Amino acid sequence: MGPIEGLIYGFGVAITPANLLACFVGVVVGTIVGVLPGIGPVGAMALLLPSTFALHPATALIMLAGIYYGAMYGGSTTSILVNVPGEAGSVVTLLDGYQMTRKGRAGAALAVAAVGSFVAGTVGVIGIMFAASWLADVAVRFGPPEYFAITLGGMLLLSRLSSASLTHAFVLVAIGLAVGTIGMDPISALRRFTFGSVQLSQGVELVPVIMGLYGVAEVLALAEEGAVRAQIASVKLRELFPTREEWRRSAAPIARGSVVGFLTGLIPGPAAVLSTFVSYALEKRVSKTPEKFGTGMIEGVAGPEAANNGATAGAMVPLLSLGIPFSPATAILLGALVIHGLQPGPLMISQRPEIFWGFVASMYIGNFLLLILNLPLVGLFVSVLRLPQHVLATLVLLLCLVGAYSLSNSFLDLWILVVFGVFGYALRKLRVDPSPLVVALVLGPMMEKTLRQSLFLTRGSVVELVSRPLTAVILLSALAALAGPPLVRLLRRRARPAEAPAA
Amino acid sequence: MMAERVVALATLLGGGLFLTQALALPFGVTERPGAGFFPALVAAFACVVGLVATARAFWPARRAAAARETVALAPEQRRRVVVSVVLLVVFCALLPWVGYPIVAFVFVALLLRRLGASWSGAVVTGVLSAAVSYYLFAVLLDVPLPRGPW
Repeated sequence: MGPIEGLIYGFGVAITPANLLACFVGVVVGTIVGVLPGIGPVGAMALLLPSTFALHPATALIMLAGIYYGAMYGGSTTSILVNVPGEAGSVVTLLDGYQMTRKGRAGAALAVAAVGSFVAGTVGVIGIMFAASWLADVAVRFGPPEYFAITLGGMLLLSRLSSASLTHAFVLVAIGLAVGTIGMDPISALRRFTFGSVQLSQGVELVPVIMGLYGVAEVLALAEEGAVRAQIASVKLRELFPTREEWRRSAAPIARGSVVGFLTGLIPGPAAVLSTFVSYALEKRVSKTPEKFGTGMIEGVAGPEAANNGATAGAMVPLLSLGIPFSPATAILLGALVIHGLQPGPLMISQRPEIFWGFVASMYIGNFLLLILNLPLVGLFVSVLRLPQHVLATLVLLLCLVGAYSLSNSFLDLWILVVFGVFGYALRKLRVDPSPLVVALVLGPMMEKTLRQSLFLTRGSVVELVSRPLTAVILLSALAALAGPPLVRLLRRRARPAEAPAA
Repeated sequence: MMAERVVALATLLGGGLFLTQALALPFGVTERPGAGFFPALVAAFACVVGLVATARAFWPARRAAAARETVALAPEQRRRVVVSVVLLVVFCALLPWVGYPIVAFVFVALLLRRLGASWSGAVVTGVLSAAVSYYLFAVLLDVPLPRGPW
């Protein structure tokens, strides 16, 4: 099935009442969690995962993905109106977005952010259609050594990009991999590190870990502040129309942001956040007045807001075509599919086209829904910010506890939630991104299985394993990305004293 | 700074402990790796990372840079977080014995009160949230939430 036929087939799946409703619920919940500072899309997706168990896998995927990209729309609203990022992907937006609000141009900033998000979301879905189909065709020929190289290379790259300190990222990768080995050995079925616990022999569930690291940790950070109410700038509907000049200045940044975002999304790492910084830096570089950035430049809103939506689409490509998630959000989507007995990978597009194409078509619908919901209803969405933070924090914490228990009616999951919640909070205080831990936990078992299969295939020869053309390219690229920046810094430092006397 | 050192030493210690546990499992040979092969690799990686982290945390030149990264909390903020964590632990410990409705009510009411709500607001929200969440999960979604001895 070609991309166009696939898309037409996908629309047939996506416009069924159940899938339309799932898409609507997903994008509305996503917008709300995006608007609320402290409650991120990953925590919300983990929280709602148990409620999707009874749904068809395509419906579950449509709803959870709706939360993810819906949050990117909602996050900009809080950045622009309250000067607080609704979620991490909107941190850059507040630099110029809030300055526009102070100048009375909040409506224009919101409209450009929404339209930019819509354009980037649409461009991103077109990218998924072609890139995922192509990559899946290529990946059919991959064997265990190639998959091992992709998981290892992805983890190395993620460690380089996700945190300021490579050591911190590696500590988290080690913890994630170690936790991933708890339970039954995938090949010999021997119990490992279970200490006699029957529940632990099933392994550590991903969802309580994510709920703890993202949900509980975020709520503990909200609890620090106690009873506070946000100060919100009001926006009237008639103010939502940017001027012709503002549209003209936004068009190119939106186009650039869409492409930059999608490409960043393909790389392992915190794509949504990273893409906004790349886009902002790019807009500043191409601008004739870079010194005005930070004073309310609409380009500084249009580019990054398009980029974070493009990145959410890009991040779906490795998940859907290779079955490999490179971010916590896509790890939850993988978890949702696995719970429904599906294994995403190159064969899913041909064997379960209703899942892949239904999902792709739903993203078009979801982006359109978000555009028509976000602008007229911005006042309504912002009103959730009036809910006292301490009440919200308490109720979310209760939902996390019930949600974690309801996964497999296990008290152990509750303890895992609390332990990882406290750990996630400590990481926030150290300003360390927990995503390497989550990705290592998800990819660890896959990495172990493919490594052991590869060694079996190559009769124990590590040289043969890493010298296959594709594995060599992937591993060398990852090593270059890992060692490149410190090497460049070292060379510059060495070059400087040599240049100094000449100067 | 202190946190950096604790993390580094904990990684080193944890990596060492994990290595001893991993080596107790069948390692196999490289042609046919056993159940302990991958955990042993992970443990060795953790030990190396722990060593590097320890060297960095105790290296004088690194101290100033590391110290800038930590965020200090006011005593009242710290108390709120500690109470939240204690209540989470109490929730998990008491749930099997006392049952969900009572534990959820006490958890919400005490946490809200500690975070700044009035007693009446905390009690009303506690009753409502315990009742609604119990109805939603136990009755509508058939989750067997513990009811306690009553």
